[in-house]
Amino acid sequence: MRSRTVQSTVAIAASASLALAACGGAGGPQSGGSTKLTDDKVVLGLLNDQSGVYKDLSGPNSKVALEMAIDDYKAKYGEKAVAKTIEVVTADHQNKADIANSKAQEMYDRQKADVILDVPNSAAALAVATQAKNKKKLYLNIGAGTTALTGASCNKYTFHWAYNTAVLARGTAGTITQEGGTSWNIVYPDYAFGQDMNKSFSAEVATAGGSVGQSIASPFPSDNFATFITKAGEGSPKVVGSMHAGGDLINFVKQFNQSSLKGKVQLAVGLMFITDIHSLGVDQFAGTQFTDAWYWNFDEQNKKWADRFKEKTNTRPSFAHAANYSAAMNYLEAVQEAGTDDADAVVGKLEGKKINDVFLRNGEIRKADHAVTHDVYLAKVKSSAPEEWDYEDIEKTIPAAEAYGEANPACSMS
Amino acid sequence: MSEFIQYTLQGLAAGGFYALSALGLAVIFGVLGVVNFSHGACYMLGAVIAAVLLAELQVGFWVALLVVPILMFGFGVLMERLLVRWLLALDPLYNFLLTFGLTLILVEAVKQRYGVSGLPYEVPAGLGGQVSVGSVNLSAYAIFACVFSVAVCLAVGLLLTRTRIGMIVRASTEAPERTRALGINVGRWVTPVFGFGIALAGLAGVLAAPTRAITAEMGSNFIIILFAVVVIGGLGSILGAVVAGLLVGLVEAYGIAYAPTYAQIVIFVLMALVVLVRPSGLFGREEVA
Amino acid sequence: MSDDRSRTTTGTRTTEQTGHDAPAPEAAGAGSPAVAEPDRGARMLEVSGLSAWYGEARVLTEVGIDVAPGEVVTLVGRNGAGKTTLLRSVMGLHRQTEGTITFDGTDLAKRSADARARAGIGWVPDDRGIYASLTVAENLLLPPVVHPDAWPLERVYEFFPVLRERRDFPGTRLSGGEQQMLAMARVLRMGSRLLLLDEPSEGLAPVIVQRIGEIIREIKGQGVGVLLVEQNVKFAATVADRHYLLAQGRVVEHLGNDDFRAREGELLTYLGM
Repeated sequence: MRSRTVQSTVAIAASASLALAACGGAGGPQSGGSTKLTDDKVVLGLLNDQSGVYKDLSGPNSKVALEMAIDDYKAKYGEKAVAKTIEVVTADHQNKADIANSKAQEMYDRQKADVILDVPNSAAALAVATQAKNKKKLYLNIGAGTTALTGASCNKYTFHWAYNTAVLARGTAGTITQEGGTSWNIVYPDYAFGQDMNKSFSAEVATAGGSVGQSIASPFPSDNFATFITKAGEGSPKVVGSMHAGGDLINFVKQFNQSSLKGKVQLAVGLMFITDIHSLGVDQFAGTQFTDAWYWNFDEQNKKWADRFKEKTNTRPSFAHAANYSAAMNYLEAVQEAGTDDADAVVGKLEGKKINDVFLRNGEIRKADHAVTHDVYLAKVKSSAPEEWDYEDIEKTIPAAEAYGEANPACSMS
Repeated sequence: MSEFIQYTLQGLAAGGFYALSALGLAVIFGVLGVVNFSHGACYMLGAVIAAVLLAELQVGFWVALLVVPILMFGFGVLMERLLVRWLLALDPLYNFLLTFGLTLILVEAVKQRYGVSGLPYEVPAGLGGQVSVGSVNLSAYAIFACVFSVAVCLAVGLLLTRTRIGMIVRASTEAPERTRALGINVGRWVTPVFGFGIALAGLAGVLAAPTRAITAEMGSNFIIILFAVVVIGGLGSILGAVVAGLLVGLVEAYGIAYAPTYAQIVIFVLMALVVLVRPSGLFGREEVA
Repeated sequence: MSDDRSRTTTGTRTTEQTGHDAPAPEAAGAGSPAVAEPDRGARMLEVSGLSAWYGEARVLTEVGIDVAPGEVVTLVGRNGAGKTTLLRSVMGLHRQTEGTITFDGTDLAKRSADARARAGIGWVPDDRGIYASLTVAENLLLPPVVHPDAWPLERVYEFFPVLRERRDFPGTRLSGGEQQMLAMARVLRMGSRLLLLDEPSEGLAPVIVQRIGEIIREIKGQGVGVLLVEQNVKFAATVADRHYLLAQGRVVEHLGNDDFRAREGELLTYLGM
C-alpha cells in the first residue's frame, strides 16, 4: 500500500482540476492510481428544506456547517487526506416526499454524491432512506424525527444522527413527570407526526408514573387555539403538553400566554427548536421545558464552534447545524480510515464507533439500528436573553442510554 | 354551564376578529367583483410590517394600528392601478388568478427577506393578562381585539350608510352599470375602495400580530376561513361578513369544545349548508351571486 | 307597410366601418339629416345610421331618429324590435355600435355613460332601477345635479307626496307604481334635459298610468325632451308628438300623432295587442 500512496497522491492532485472541469460527468477521467475514490472526489449531498418551515433550522446554513467540517478534515490530515477534493451539492426538497425522492436519486446518480445529509421532514426522510438502500450509498439523517428511520425503514446505509420523537418523549415527558409534573393534558396536531408524538408522550408519562387526563387533537394547520387551551386546562392538570411544530406551535404558545393557564400550569413542548424561540421572542416561551439535542452555549467547546459558525453566518447554530457538521466530519474520518469512499467500507468504519465531538457526547453509532446515540438535554427557556440567541438553561443532561433506550426492535438490518 | 359561556365568549372574540378580517374581502368583491385571493397575503404583510416597524424603528403596536393600514392603502392603490385594473373587464377568474400569483410572490418575498421561522411581537402593555368573571376567563387582548374589530366594522358600516361616499359605494356595489347611467363615475371610486379593502386586511394583520405566529405563511390557511366567512355572509355583503364572522367564530369554538378534530370541518359544513339553502349567502343579493 | 317607406325615413349611413364598438368620431359633422322632415327647430338628440350588435347578432340597422326639446317621441314595436337597445346605445351602456349619436350638437361616441348622464341624459330603465340598498331619499339624492333647472328635493316631494312619506324606506319596499314615480323623480331631481323612459306604464294600474302621463306632460312643458319606449299604444297616443315604429331593428314608420291615432287599430294588430 505504502508504495502506491505517493503515486496516487500525485495522480489525485493532477486530476483534481480535470475532475472539476469534467464536472463529475459519467466516464470522467479515471486515473490509474486513484481507484480508492469514485470519480476522484468525495461529494457530500445536502438535501433539506431551503425555503419552507425548516429553512432556518437547518437550510442553507447547514452547507456552511459542512464546509466547516471539510476545512477541519483538510486541516487535520493535510497531505495525508484520502479525500483531496471534496464537494458539496445542495438541493431543496420543499418538504415533499416525492421531490426528496427524485432529488436524492439525482444526487446519487448524476451528481455522484457519496452521501446525503440532513433531510428534515419525516416523509421526505423515509423516501430518501429507500433510495439509499437501493443505490447502496450512505445517508446520514439529521433533521427528521421519525423513529421509523431506525425501525421498520432502517437499512445498512442509513444512519440517524441527532434525535428522534422517542428521545423527545423520554427526555421531556419522562423528566417532567419524574420531577413532579404528574398530571398532563396533551394537545396535538391531527396528522401522522402529531399522533406519534401524542402516543409516545402519553406512554412516557405513564411509564414515569404520571397520567394523561385528555389528549386533544387540533386540526392542522390551525390559527385559533383559545378554546383548545381552555379545554386543555380542564381538570386542572399540572402540565399542558403541546405537540405542535412551527407556526402552529407559535400560535399555541402566544395564545397560551394570554390565557388564564399562564403561570398556573407548566407548558411542555414536544418539539421545539432554538429558531422557534428566536422567532417568538424569549419572553413568550419563558419557562417552557423541552428536550434539546444540543445547545450552542452549553460549554466552552460548543461555544467555540458556535463562534466560528457565527463568523460565517452572522447567526448562532441550531442543533441541526452542529449535527450536520458532526455527521460530515465523522463520514470524512471514516473515509480516511477506510482509505476509500466505497460505501460498504465506510459503513464498516462507522458502525459501532464511539465518538465524542462538538455535537456528540458519549456518542455511539449503534450497530443494531444505526441510531447515533448521545447525551441529550432537558432545556428550560430563560426569562430573558443575556445576548441574542442565548435562550436556554440546560436543567439536566439526560444520559445517552436513558434517552435512547434499547435498540429499536422493529429494525432488521438485512 | 360556565364552560358553555366560556366557549361562547371565546367564539365571539374570535368571530369579531374574523369579521374585520373578512370585511375588506367583502368590500372589494362588492364594488369591483374581484375575488381577491391575496387578501390573506395582505393580512400577512400587515403583521410583518408591524413586526418590522417594532424591531427596526421601535414603532409600537398603537402607532402600527394607524400607520400600517395607511401603508397598505398605498399598496392597494398601486396594486389596483398597476395590475387589477387591466383585468376588470375580463372574466373574474383572471383577477382571481392574478391575485393568486401575487400571493405566491408576496409570500416568497417575505420568506426571502425575513426567513420562515417568523418574527417576534409582544402583547401591548396592559393587555397581557386575563379578565375573569366567576369561572369565565378571557384574555384581555382577545377582548380588545374583538371590541376593536366590531368598532371598526361599525365605523365602516356608518361610513357606508351615513355618508355620500357610502351611498355611492353601496349603489356601485348593487348595480354598477345603472349607477354609471346616473352620472356617477364608478371607475373613479374603484381605486380608493380597493385600497381601503387592502388597508382593512393590513389592519387585521396588525391586530393578529400579538396573538398569532407572524410568518410568511400566516395568511395561507387563514384566507380559506375568510372565504368561508364571505360565502356564508353573502359575497359582497358587509353586514353579511360581520354576522358570518361571528357565526364562524362561534361554530369553531363549539366545534373545538365538543368535537375538536372536526373544529375546522364544521365551518365548511356550515358553509355548504348555507350555500345549499341560500346560494347567495345569508345576506347576499341574488343579482350579486 | 313596405320596406320602401321605411328607407325614406331612415337616416343615411354616415359612418365609416371602423369596427363595431368604435364609431368614427368625425361622423358627427356629416350626420345632416338626409330626408325631408318638417323642421322642428333645434334638435336635442340626433341618432343617425345607428347599427348595434350583440356579438354577431345585429339588433339595430341604420336607425335614425331625433328628439327636440319639449318634444315627446315614442319608439313603438314588438318585443325584440330593438327599442331597449336603442335607449341603451344612447345612454352609452351598449357600446357595440356604429353610427352617430349627438346630444346638443356634441358627438357622444367617446363619452362614457356617466359623462352622458352628466351632460343631461336621464335614464329610467324598464325595471325602474331602484336600489334596494338605498333608501327612497338616497335613491333621489344619489345622482349629481347636472342642470340649473333641476327640481329641488322640496319640489320633488310636493309633486310626489308619497316619496316624502316613505323617504326612509328601502327603495324596493315601494309598490311598482311608486317605484316608477321614484325612478322618474330621480332624473328630474338630477335635472336631465332628455329622458329615456323605458316602458314606464308597464304593469301599472290605469290610474297610475294616467298620473305618469301627467308627469310627462308637465316636464314636456319645461322643455325637457322625452324618448319613450312604449307598447301601450293608447297611452303613447295621449302623450307623444311623434312616433317611430321599429321592426327587426329598423325604423319602418315615422308618424305624427294624428296619423298614429288614425291607424291605432292597425298598429294594435301589428303589435299583437
